[in-house]
Order: sequence, then C-alpha cells, then structure tokens
Amino acid sequence: MGLNEATRAPGGAAQEPFAPDLSVRIGPLVLANPVGVASGTFGYGEEYAALLDLDTLGALYTKAVRVEPRAGNPAPRLAETPSGLLNSIGLANPGLEAFIRDKLPALRARRCAALVNVAGATVDDYVRVVEGIEAAGGVDGYELNVSCPNVKSGGMAFGTDPALVALVTESVRRATKRTLVVKLSPNVTDIRETARAAEGAGADAVSAINTLVGMAIDVKARRPRLAMKTGGLSGPAVKPVGVAAVYRISRAVKIPVIGLGGIMTAEDALEYLLAGADAVQVGTATFADPGAAFHVLEGIEAWMREHRVARVSDIKGLLEG
Amino acid sequence: MVRIDTELLSNRRVAEGYFELRFRWPAAAGAPVPGQFLTVRAREGSDPLLRRPFAFASHDGTRDEATIVIQERGSATRALATLEAGAKLDLLGPLGHGFAFPERGTEPVLVAGGIGVGPMLFLRAALDAAGVSSRFVLGARTAALVPEALLPRGAGVEVRTDDGSLGAKGTAADAVTALLPEARAALYACGPAPLMAALDRIAAERGWPYQAAVEEWMACGVGACMGCAVPLKGGGFLRACADGPVLDGSLVKWD
Repeated sequence: MGLNEATRAPGGAAQEPFAPDLSVRIGPLVLANPVGVASGTFGYGEEYAALLDLDTLGALYTKAVRVEPRAGNPAPRLAETPSGLLNSIGLANPGLEAFIRDKLPALRARRCAALVNVAGATVDDYVRVVEGIEAAGGVDGYELNVSCPNVKSGGMAFGTDPALVALVTESVRRATKRTLVVKLSPNVTDIRETARAAEGAGADAVSAINTLVGMAIDVKARRPRLAMKTGGLSGPAVKPVGVAAVYRISRAVKIPVIGLGGIMTAEDALEYLLAGADAVQVGTATFADPGAAFHVLEGIEAWMREHRVARVSDIKGLLEG
Repeated sequence: MVRIDTELLSNRRVAEGYFELRFRWPAAAGAPVPGQFLTVRAREGSDPLLRRPFAFASHDGTRDEATIVIQERGSATRALATLEAGAKLDLLGPLGHGFAFPERGTEPVLVAGGIGVGPMLFLRAALDAAGVSSRFVLGARTAALVPEALLPRGAGVEVRTDDGSLGAKGTAADAVTALLPEARAALYACGPAPLMAALDRIAAERGWPYQAAVEEWMACGVGACMGCAVPLKGGGFLRACADGPVLDGSLVKWD
C-alpha cells in the first residue's frame, strides 16, 4: 500500500498543517490516543497524580484486582538486571471490596480510559471481580491477567493453556459487554495459539507481552536475588521478544493487538506499531522517567506528522519487507 | 513532590567510596524534612535502568541547596560518584515520610550505621536548629569508612568501628547499650539490618520509642509498584517509599 495515496489527510497539500488522528478503537471503547500505562506501574492512578496529568494519555491499565486482598510476596521483590527489571510483587492488591469502595470512584471520574486489570486463581474469581465492578457501575474495560508468572496458582497456568485462556475469556465475556482485553504470556511455545483462543472466546483485543520468567543470583551471597527465587522480567531487555510476539499475533488474529514490553521511547513504541500493534502500553520506563508515556505520545504524534500518516491504525501497514 | 533537572554544585569524596553531592534544590520543589528522600536517574538510557533512592543529608532553604551522601556500590552510584560540579541532575522528591521530633523530656539518640549516615546528619541539624540537644552515634567497619568531615560538631558525638581503628572498638548498638537504661531516650536510626534489629531489642527492653529509616530496593519511589515491601512482625508489609522510609522500628521484622 502506498503511503501517499492511502494515508494523506483529505485535501492535504504538503505545506498545510497536518493533524493526525490519534484515536484508536478497542472493542466498544475509543481511546483518545494509542498510549497507555501498563498494569502494575501506575497503581490505580493516584500515586503519580501530583506529578502528571494521566488524562492526557489514552488509557490507564490498573494494578491487578483480585477478589480477596493479597499482601504480596516476601521481600526482596525487585532486582535490576542489564536493561531489565525482575519483579515478584505477587499481585499485592486491596481486594475487590476495598477496590470498589476506595479506588473505583476516582477511576470512573477519569477522562482517560480506565481498564481494570483482573487476576484470579479460578475462572470464578475472574468472573466475580468483573461482575462486582459491573454491579458498582463498571469501568471502561477490563484486562484479564492470565499470565502473571509470580503467583503459584492460576495466573500463568491459565495463560499457557489455550483451552483455559478460552474458558476464562468466554466466562468473563458473559459478564460484561465492555471492552475486554486478554493479556498474553510470552512464556509459551507459540503465543499465536493463546491469542487465537482469546479471539475465539470473544476478547476485543489482546495485549502482549506480560513479563518473561527470569532469575538473577547474587554470586557473593550464593542466593537468588528475589525472595521468590524467580520473577518476571520487564524493561528494554525484553523489547525484541515483545515486538516479535506482536508481529506474529497480529498476523494470526483480526482483533487489535496492544503492544508492550520495554517501551522507553517513541521509537520503541513505533517498532510495536509497525510490527502490527494498534496501541501500546508503557510500563517499566515510568520508573526511570515518570514522564516516559507522555514523551512516547508526543513522539508518535510528531512521527505521524513528519510522515503524514493520518491514523494510528495505518502505521502497521507501513512495515516494509 | 516534583521532578526537576537541577545542577550539581559540588561532589566531594568524604570517605572511602563515600561521596557528598551538593546540588541546587529550589524552594518551589518543597522543603524536605529529615528522613525524606529523593530518587535520581544516574544517567539517560537503560543501564542503569531504575532511579536510585537517597535520603536527604541536608537542606539549606536560604541558599536553595541540599545534599545527599552516596556510597559506590554498583553502576548507578559509580556514575554519580564521577559527576563534576555543573552536571545536570534528574531528581524526584521530596518523597516519603520523615522523622517526628521527640516528645518533651526525652533525649534523642541518633544512630547511623555505614551509609545510613545521611538522614541522621539531616535530623541532627534540624534538632540543633530547634534547640534540641541530641546524641549522635556513628558505627562503621573501619576508620576509612567514616566521613569525618561530615560528622556533627558539638557534644554527644561518638564513633565506633568494628576494628577499633577510630573511636572505641565495637558497634553503634554497643554505644546505645552503654547508655543508662533508666534514661528517657528516643532512638532514631538508619543502617544495616543487624544494627536495626539490635536497636529494636534495646528499645523494646527499655521501653524507648524507636523511629527507623528503612532501606529497600525501589522501582517507582511513589507508592505505585509495591516493590519496596518491608515485612512486619505481625504479618503483611509496608512500603518503604510511601509508608516510610521512617517507620515505627518496633513493627518491622528485621531478620
């Protein structure tokens, strides 16, 4: 497809101001722009409020919510590795009841889309969280965490078996008409299988990738650096894995793909968009630079102006080779 | 809490592997209190990836300056140690909760272990400024690791080294044990876990209040990621960054 025929704004002569359309449709939800902040890196949107106006972003994906409160894993929970971060937080969260009481009202008042990341140990857990939030008025959408490597029961067990991905997706699908995203684990042989399972079960989109299972050892102490021994690796170290996953998924399913994994800059995000993503999430980069997601958004917009790309969804068609 | 690009005013070596970084801290950034911290991005790019937390070691509101004391441990602190005056610093702060002043009639005893010296220096200065006298105990492995130029002047300052190369031989906890048990002390401390645990036992035996500044690996520094969990004796966790770094030391599971 030729860039100039297909993506030039209507009537846009070269010297006229060019305003790309940054909006992205994910299921029934229209995001104002393709950049969101990834689950687990922005809490429920409050902690960074003094620093940043989240509402200029496309979406906030919350820290995971489970039915029961969870204190999380033993410390240490973090270890830095070359261009990466290993974590074993263990889905520390206040539980559904406290979430609805303390966090949901502010989320519902947001101008940016709020998608609640949902975790559980059983299919019923996922359904109960979504039903509970729906009964309390709902949010813009849900992201099913079927791929957390840090919780022994559930989590990754769901995410690595296409039949279980389908089961949890279709069960939650019956509980809500709102946008439903399934977050896929990269800790599988062929991520296209779980992506197809989610699509077949009614997901509006998939997000990829969650963290990769990783381990780091303190040689001096001869001890794993995480109390849980292994954890989930994120950050720039995983970006090529994420880009390849998005590239393969986007050629296997028709639903939108939300790309994440190691995005620090607009150029990183554009790699994902060129690989086939419709939107992106910025995660670990926020810890290094709280403004990272905003810089990514500015950079994508500038790139679209420079290359006169009218819509975000056009970017994936521009990959050569 | 603000994120600012500010200027490094000086960087001096104060002990073996220890550096004091003095930088511009504008009033608009908010005045830090002792025990609060900042995070710094040691350099752009992805290695080191995370910001590093450091407690404020001083703040001068009239000159818009503040300091941190760092110890070279890895790539981030090595990068910071080599910065020269005039360098740009990417800082986020002030973060967390600081120390509460002691109750009337109690004598504050400030205990610093190793690189835990920074926040204790700041607390000592704040107490001095408020006209509250305090004891100050610094423990270190050896004389080379004692930042002598930074030590408070005046009465009640004591150094202990493990090898006796400076001050009396022993630990900072030994110096606290040597205080009269019937004294009405209020313990304030920052240091390695064995020291913090020893002070917890002393405080419990003698009924002294114990405010402890904890140290943990952090990712966000603002309470969002739940990475810097500090285990509690009664089960559960507090976040070093947002619930602390100053916690009631009697609640923390130190070992």
